[in-house]
Amino acid sequence: MRVTNRMMFEVAQRQTAAARDRSIDAQNQVATGVRVAHPGDDPTAAGVMVTQNVAIQRLDTIDKSIAQASSEVQVADGALQGVSTLIARAQQLAVQLGSDNYSAAERASGAQEIADISAQIGRLMNTQVAGRYIFGGNVDNTPPFDATGNYLGDTVVRQVEIAPGLLGNASVRGDQAVKGVGVTGGVDVFAVLSSLSTGLAANDGATVRASIDGLNQGTNQISAALTNAGTMLSAFENAQQIGSVAKEAAQKSLSNASEADIFEATSNLVQAQQSLESALAVTAKTFGLSLLDYLK
Amino acid sequence: MADLFALLVQSGNSLAAHTAVVTAAGNNIANANTPGYSRQIPTLVANPATEALGLAAVGTGVSLQGITQARDQFVERQLPNALGAQAFSQSQSDALAALHALDPDLQGGLTSTLGAFYSALQTWSQNPGDSALRQGVVGSAQALATSFQQTSSAVESARTGLDAAIAGKLNEVNIAAQKVADLNGQILIARTAGGQPNDLIDARQIAVDELATLTGGIPYDSGQGNVSIALPGGTALVSDTRAAVLSVAADATNDGHSKLRITRADGSGPVDWTGPPFGGTVGGLMGARDGALKTASSSVDQLAFDLGTAINTVHQAGFAMDGSPGLALFSLPVTSTGAASQIAVNATVAANPRLLAAATTVPAGSGDNRNVLALIATQRQALASGADPVATLQSITTTFGSSTAQAKALAEHDGAIANHLTTLRDAASGVSIDEEMINLTKAQRAYQAVSKVIEVSNSLLETLMNMR
Repeated sequence: MRVTNRMMFEVAQRQTAAARDRSIDAQNQVATGVRVAHPGDDPTAAGVMVTQNVAIQRLDTIDKSIAQASSEVQVADGALQGVSTLIARAQQLAVQLGSDNYSAAERASGAQEIADISAQIGRLMNTQVAGRYIFGGNVDNTPPFDATGNYLGDTVVRQVEIAPGLLGNASVRGDQAVKGVGVTGGVDVFAVLSSLSTGLAANDGATVRASIDGLNQGTNQISAALTNAGTMLSAFENAQQIGSVAKEAAQKSLSNASEADIFEATSNLVQAQQSLESALAVTAKTFGLSLLDYLK
Repeated sequence: MADLFALLVQSGNSLAAHTAVVTAAGNNIANANTPGYSRQIPTLVANPATEALGLAAVGTGVSLQGITQARDQFVERQLPNALGAQAFSQSQSDALAALHALDPDLQGGLTSTLGAFYSALQTWSQNPGDSALRQGVVGSAQALATSFQQTSSAVESARTGLDAAIAGKLNEVNIAAQKVADLNGQILIARTAGGQPNDLIDARQIAVDELATLTGGIPYDSGQGNVSIALPGGTALVSDTRAAVLSVAADATNDGHSKLRITRADGSGPVDWTGPPFGGTVGGLMGARDGALKTASSSVDQLAFDLGTAINTVHQAGFAMDGSPGLALFSLPVTSTGAASQIAVNATVAANPRLLAAATTVPAGSGDNRNVLALIATQRQALASGADPVATLQSITTTFGSSTAQAKALAEHDGAIANHLTTLRDAASGVSIDEEMINLTKAQRAYQAVSKVIEVSNSLLETLMNMR
């Protein structure tokens, strides 16, 4: 091919420009660590980045939601443990004072303690977390139990999303635990305690003894509620572990899609720089050769 | 019979011929880097013998037959197509690469605000009565709406910017087309006068290349040495000494973006351009504007409309804290057209976040989060377009990215072809200074030799004159 001056200059211009362009690209990748900034850089990877960015954001929020729900259920569990302890004390008093060996005065004293226990159970069942009553179902802005133990909440079990698209229970029904609503053979613990207290005040041994079965059932109800809470906590823990794995996978996928492999990027940079140096050297050499330098 | 005086005249003519060769070489060297310049080749021919010396015919020296241009017609016929294709794909690639509104990592872009909106709903589901969380949901919904507006605005700005670029390029087309027509006339006049207007031909070639680059117009020989230019579909942009004029007008059927109009070379019009799409830079800009960018614009509109409608449907099925039925969370137009630019959070809800509908029944308390969970579920539910919101956004991003990557790959491919052909043309028509220096030296030596002939002739004449 006939080589002309304009051809030499234009080819040199194109080659050095292309080499410099590749060098700048490689330099940007090494400096920023980002491989895909524009969808056109890698359309498939850009699509993956969209889904994984949203997925990571969502998994983060779900993790926080689970942590908060778990905290609430742990508070509920603590409250129910307290109720259980109080009912056990009531059972102990019922068994003890049900014996006719005790005097009316001793039973009257027991009646007062039972009334206190009932009030304490009422307070425990009106436990709040962050200003919300946790045993009232969806009615969380007013106390679910009044002074006489009437239930004012609803029968809804609150749910939260524990994995994308998967809901998990996040509250214990107070009416079920202490009022026996929906429980086969369920009892109203407040009513049983009231009857026990009345029996003790009236020095009525038969009534006192009759309350023992009710308290046993109350204990069973609280145990069931505690088991329920334990199951929820376990489900939360599992969900958090699974979410953590899912988030790690999403981050890895995002990283694979968007980030430059530092070794590959560095290697590309060295290659591009060498290519640029070669292009410049060849250009300088080519331009240096001219018949003008030899004609005298 | 040859005589010494004739030899002197012949030598004088030869000096003139070699001087022309030196001049041509000098001109070539001077224009070695002039764009569009084709090297000029002086052709020397031996003068025929006019007289015989005995049986031998004695020549009468050398003269300049003419100066021609070095051109490769085969390459030059391929070049306009290649230049048009390169300009088309390069301008399209540049236009698409300039849009960053759909970058997957863009802060405040659709990806991050869509994720943030659902995260706000998720957080709200923990405590639906909390006023701060309600305010957070309103804020994230406003951020999502703003992001839709900004994305739509960025895409539309890119399309409007291309309208301005197209109008600017059409001015260049009109100037170059008129230049080709004018040069056709000047070249014809020069040729009629018996000249070879090489410089005018070079100037016309530059204008022809420019038109091919701008419009994809193809030059053809229309007789008498004229070069006319045919636009895609065959309509003449230049017909001998007359040029068409291209202009733009707002197209109501294309969101008010510009459409092409043409006043034909015969003076009729202007009329709307109804031929095939242009090639070259103008075609590439129009292709980007009405192709990938328009698709992105309408897809973002559709997503805004479908997502807003889905959210509104669920929200309106719920109940606010005051027991009133849920209002539409997003204000939307009646159809998807322009939805991304018009979507906004319902002003009534924005002013009173208690109107956010978290409950599925008229709430007895503030803890009912079931409608919030239903709102969260829309993230995984198919929209009217058939995919869920995130998958739809992913599809929009991938589709736009594919168009950009394809245009970039085509630009590299077409650029390589155009560069190759340009190199071939330079190989045929370009100037080699080394070559010209040799030609110069060759002519110099010949000039010196002819001078010697004059010296010898002079010496012979002197001898003759001094004979006694």
